[in-house]
Amino acid sequence: MPSIRKQTLRGKVAVIGIGMSPVGKVRGKSPLWLAADAAKKALADAGIGKSGIDGVLSSHAFASPFHRFSVAFSEYLGIQPTFSNTLQVSGATAATMFNIGAAAIHGGLAEVVLVVGGDSLLTGLTPDLALRSMTESRDQQYEMPFGIPVANTFAMTAHRHMKDFGTTPEQLAEVAVVQRRHAMRTPGAQQTTPITVDDVLSSGMVTTPYHKLDCSLISDGGAAFILTSAEHAKALGIKSPIYILGGGECYTHEHIFLMPSLTTTGAVESSRRAYEMAGYGPKDMDLAGVYDCFTGTVIMMLEDLGFCPKGEGGRFVEDGQMTYGGQIPSNTHGGLLSFAHSGVPGSLFHFHEVIAQLRGQCGERQVPGAELGLVHSLGAGFATNATTILGTENTL
Amino acid sequence: MISSEDAMKKPVPAPDADSAALWHGLRDGMLLLQHCADCGHVQYYQQAMCRQCGGENLSHRPASGRGKIHSFSVVHRAPGPAFKADTPYAVLLIDLEEGPRIISTYTGGKPEDVVFDMEVMLVCEKVNDEITLPRFRKA
Repeated sequence: MPSIRKQTLRGKVAVIGIGMSPVGKVRGKSPLWLAADAAKKALADAGIGKSGIDGVLSSHAFASPFHRFSVAFSEYLGIQPTFSNTLQVSGATAATMFNIGAAAIHGGLAEVVLVVGGDSLLTGLTPDLALRSMTESRDQQYEMPFGIPVANTFAMTAHRHMKDFGTTPEQLAEVAVVQRRHAMRTPGAQQTTPITVDDVLSSGMVTTPYHKLDCSLISDGGAAFILTSAEHAKALGIKSPIYILGGGECYTHEHIFLMPSLTTTGAVESSRRAYEMAGYGPKDMDLAGVYDCFTGTVIMMLEDLGFCPKGEGGRFVEDGQMTYGGQIPSNTHGGLLSFAHSGVPGSLFHFHEVIAQLRGQCGERQVPGAELGLVHSLGAGFATNATTILGTENTL
Repeated sequence: MISSEDAMKKPVPAPDADSAALWHGLRDGMLLLQHCADCGHVQYYQQAMCRQCGGENLSHRPASGRGKIHSFSVVHRAPGPAFKADTPYAVLLIDLEEGPRIISTYTGGKPEDVVFDMEVMLVCEKVNDEITLPRFRKA
């Protein structure tokens, strides 16, 4: 792997608009509508019209019949972009859209890129599509004949983490409890009923060590962002542009039985590359959006992203370090566990939250003085990892 | 694409150019691993080149069938109706004696008996005339 990168997109590209559709149970709305609704809000937030966009990057949608979601989306919105792609690296797609969007702008392929995703996993899936999303995501020869649920691969990593480092079911549950508390202060969050560690532990086993409340929600929803060059952001008179300071990715395996280590993931390398580009380290981050498909995922990521040493993630969470007043307030909107999880677009909500926090727009859940934030997206049993670091003008 | 009628059936592997020998071997009661003559790497996931050195000088040799459980998870909520009757069942990640790791499920005992580092032994379980799955019991 090349160790020195001469090119960098640090500070070259800014997020100038953010938008989100209603989330949770949104009946009668297609993935394209959810994405377009979010896009209209992001355009309004940036103060530009749809003719101002020349690039579109999207995730795909399980509940949509379109193979080229980004292309179908552009038709739906009534635009004809000159740069577009539908990216697919499972849960890591969100951060890759920001990284690739920034690179495309920096490299001259586009000037204003709309990053967008929407899906309706809760109300929009036909039984056939639901089954397909459950069974076709893993290898049809080596994995699926044994009956491997999506949660199972992640569960085996968490289980080994418990064996190697003494992480407890209570510590896993605490992640869900903290994030539920966060969601209670987030308007529109899907789950806002307070829960306790005991509630998580008695919520019924899904696949050991994960109970129902250790698992993320199933939701409808979309989010969208407008990215452009720092110069163009200035020319548009954008008040508080949020800059992309660093990005990194890492892909370590496809099959869970070929994962190099069940407890140390590609997030170590993806975040190292992002920190290096940004010129900041984990201690500098004011908040984080940490992919949280399952509670144990968060604990492992807090370690691999450098917020605490390997093996200490459980104690870190138990000590209140992932919430307000702790070392790294994480998933302050409630995350996939309590805010919403509409499949691949779910991680875009982490971006929405971190950017809103950096703009100081989060009201009673505002992290005071937040200037630097990290978002980490991952998927497919830690096969895919992508990190993006964002900052205010002061951090350039 | 899977349809509703298929939902009650468990997925059955469809051997391809890379994997035909593996499924052929299992039908004959052997778990065939690929050994690289160039670098000595041993792989379970079948492909026409060595994942370590890229060499194509691979030969199939039967595994001893002995292994140790690296991690596991007991499934209580099945991924679709076809596996519902089997719950709870233990999904295993097993380190084979020869090195490669394999995913499988536990057979011949209760899932609650499964523990880390437990020694296990291959069981070739016939699905149909073409396909036999590699599963594992307590050694």
